[in-house]
Amino acid sequence: MTTASIGNETAIASTQAPVVKLTMLLSGVVFLLMMVFGLIMRAAQGGLIELDPEFFYLLLTAHGAGMVGSAALSGAAILWYFSARYLDLRGGIYLGFLGLFLLGVVLILGSIFVGGYGGAWTFLFPLPALSGGLWEAGAAVAFCLGYVAIGVGFLLYYLELGLKISARYRGLLGGLGWRYLFGGSDADLPPPTIIAASSVLVFNTIGIVFGAAVLAASIVNLLFPSFAVDPLLAKNAIYFFGHVFINATIYMAITAVYEILPTYTGRPWKTTRVFVGAWAAVVIFVQAVYFHHLLQDVNMPAWTLAVGQIVSYASGIPLIGVTVFSLAVYIKGSGLKWDLPVSLLTLGVIGWGVGVIPAIVDGMVAVNKLMHNTQWVPGHFHTYLLLGEVAMAFGFAAWLVRDAARQTMSGLDKLVFRAYVLGGAGFTLIFLWSGASSIPRRWAVHYEDWQFQSQLASVFALVVILATTVLVLRYAIGLLRRSP
Amino acid sequence: MQTTILLITLVLMAGVLTLILRTVRATDGPAPSQTVNRTRSWLIWAMIAGGVIISVASLREWPHADAGGDALVVNVTSGQWWWDTDTTEIPLGQQVEFRVTTEDVNHGLGIYDPDMRLVAQVQAMPEYINKLVHTFDEPGTYQILCMEFCGIAHHDMTYEFDVVEAN
Repeated sequence: MTTASIGNETAIASTQAPVVKLTMLLSGVVFLLMMVFGLIMRAAQGGLIELDPEFFYLLLTAHGAGMVGSAALSGAAILWYFSARYLDLRGGIYLGFLGLFLLGVVLILGSIFVGGYGGAWTFLFPLPALSGGLWEAGAAVAFCLGYVAIGVGFLLYYLELGLKISARYRGLLGGLGWRYLFGGSDADLPPPTIIAASSVLVFNTIGIVFGAAVLAASIVNLLFPSFAVDPLLAKNAIYFFGHVFINATIYMAITAVYEILPTYTGRPWKTTRVFVGAWAAVVIFVQAVYFHHLLQDVNMPAWTLAVGQIVSYASGIPLIGVTVFSLAVYIKGSGLKWDLPVSLLTLGVIGWGVGVIPAIVDGMVAVNKLMHNTQWVPGHFHTYLLLGEVAMAFGFAAWLVRDAARQTMSGLDKLVFRAYVLGGAGFTLIFLWSGASSIPRRWAVHYEDWQFQSQLASVFALVVILATTVLVLRYAIGLLRRSP
Repeated sequence: MQTTILLITLVLMAGVLTLILRTVRATDGPAPSQTVNRTRSWLIWAMIAGGVIISVASLREWPHADAGGDALVVNVTSGQWWWDTDTTEIPLGQQVEFRVTTEDVNHGLGIYDPDMRLVAQVQAMPEYINKLVHTFDEPGTYQILCMEFCGIAHHDMTYEFDVVEAN
């Protein structure tokens, strides 16, 4: 870390760190609550509890939107915290982002639990307008407006990042490292965090704009049903937005690894040509790959489906060949002492790297025909979210409240970490097994032959929840101890 | 088929996990050798080569094949929360082209064999007709399950048809 960045660290600590810490607490609590929703759903599918299907689908909607939202919020907090080491970011902008985010949360929760909106987090057109009597148009409008508020908050956030990166690194191309990659000049080369920030702000801004367009169309359709949208066009826009947005959460959170791991290994995460090239590929791949959500929409041009399959596979190359490989190289022989923060951060990268494999497999057109919308799908995304982004977020949170004098894991830390890994791995593997058993996803009621897997998954979910409860409590207590 | 897919996936996941764990657990061992960047290049090029082979092998015969001229056409309509077909008996070994649509929201046509194993699927979209070509090679009662979340009775959206020996 340079002297300048240490100076900025002090500035962050005095101004913006408290609100970032508060954000992480909020994210942790929502993660925990959404996990409880997940457990309730798995227990209901397993026949362990009675649950009205109507309420199941409300929980499903809240779980999806809540998990994506908390992943986005925690990722944004991490990226902001570390970007502020290199950029003079305005705290007021972050507060504006957080305020809009919370407004969105209120609208979304209100639409679900007051208005009865249960159209899933994907709001697949025209389902919001055709509830079958379950919810009124107003509830669906509130849900969409909640997304819009969060999207506007993110645009504000990325605008600030973009302006400051452009000013500091002579334009966004400088921030992306593309001047170095394509022009060869390594003058004023950005650190990995800025490369990540620049890349994410480019693709996620594009994604949010597409999301805003389809949300606006959905809202108009809800208010004026005669206004129709082509369902396939809407589906493209929704999956483009949804795919890019959820992926952006991990690409924001990875900056915690870039910044924290070197303090353990003594080896700085370097901006190399391979690193910049990998991020340039990510900017393209993360957008082009969304076609793999449409592999069973046979009216799509065939080439788009082929692109979806090929780019699904290609997306694994920068992840495994660069990020995971680099993690291993930086750690090997470094003398690193494992504690809870670095263990969770490392788990996050490994979970992401391993979780991409079932995603790539499902991205094949022929396989997708047998696995699409089975539980294989939550199987792969829970692997790289629960054992990926969420692990990174808890690793960052644990690092924020770490005891610098203690460099080892306590007995409780070891127990919690092992429980999280065991519970998470068991939970996600059962999803994959269930997918291979052709069990459809998003079914409130499961046939008797499917219930054993749901029951087993409930046990693993409970283990994850217990571990997460300790992680959240540990973090909250750490914050209280450090508060003046 | 699904079991094979699961096993291949688990083997790949276990392989990658083992390689990573071997390295990250060696914190007190020797540092990576000077050839580590060459190793990375080999890995990346191997992944690219593997991708080309897998892509060509799996896409050369397009998975969404068109129906032949003698295919039996079965029209499938759907809505919240029902399916309807213009026949409930399909001859064994006969190529079938399902023409699938919906009157309201998106649904997913998932065809399950008598052992409740998913054998094929396609999306059902308003304003579009999606074609699914399949040849049944086992007789028995098949089920159609909805694979795309479509509202409160999504899980009740099922239907049955029989695959019967041709006379």
